[in-house]
Amino acid sequence: MRAMVIDDSRAMRMILKRIVTKLNFDAVEAGDGKEALDLLTEMPEVPELALIDWNMPNMNGLEFVIHVRADPRLREMTLVMVTTESEQSQIVRALAAGAHEYVIKPFTEGAMIEKLALLGLVPTGANS
Amino acid sequence: MSVEVEVNEDDLAEMVGQVWESYLDPEGINPLIPTYDENQPSEVHSSVSISGSWTGHLVYASSISAARRAAAAFLAMEPEEVSEDDMSDVLGELANIVGGNVKAMLPPGAFLSLPQVVLAPESSARYPNTERIGGVYGLWEDEPVSISMWHSRAEKSEEESA
Repeated sequence: MRAMVIDDSRAMRMILKRIVTKLNFDAVEAGDGKEALDLLTEMPEVPELALIDWNMPNMNGLEFVIHVRADPRLREMTLVMVTTESEQSQIVRALAAGAHEYVIKPFTEGAMIEKLALLGLVPTGANS
Repeated sequence: MSVEVEVNEDDLAEMVGQVWESYLDPEGINPLIPTYDENQPSEVHSSVSISGSWTGHLVYASSISAARRAAAAFLAMEPEEVSEDDMSDVLGELANIVGGNVKAMLPPGAFLSLPQVVLAPESSARYPNTERIGGVYGLWEDEPVSISMWHSRAEKSEEESA
């Protein structure tokens, strides 16, 4: 399986990449929503999962989610927001736009794996 | 419109604790030891600005050694391998994470900027017309680290006269 990690912080991309790689995903990285969309256009196979920061330059995470949901080719992607935007209203906005799950920074590796397990993307108990 | 800040030092300390638990000290071996010294020195700092229903800044400051160690923890590398770019990236992300969580505790209508990183002491920073309203100050493996909140004086005086 493939995962796309979208965050303007290289350090945060590394952390997320380490987690998904441990779960046997092949990970690709993008530094903002625009770069992620450009990469998706070039990729012959659409990743199953995208982990998306909200606050990024050029194109933020919410705009990325809206673009993905408007594109039939990308319909099957599971979208998880991974962000410091933790107000209820922001979570509702992201989910209404088409995100499947929401992880608030800071997160532990275990918490992230649990979320992905809830989405059926990793075997339950992968965290143990 | 102005509103009184609803984030106190205990809240800030809890957020900082979560950052340490998640990224900087997941095994719980090297916590940030409080010094309560708001004048402790720093060599680098990062900040995010909050605007809207509350106006101010969240500032993360530390020694270069602590910043290097933080970057090493995030990037799973040795501190000696960390570049200036790595340090800047991690300093920015640390301000972003704590600032984002502070914003979440403020009344609706607050907006968070992208982080700014300066590889110079916090004392060189200028936040015009603001005052420090609280912070968490400590030593991480004997190196100074502080996270402080700065509030707009103009907004504060509006609150006081309301």
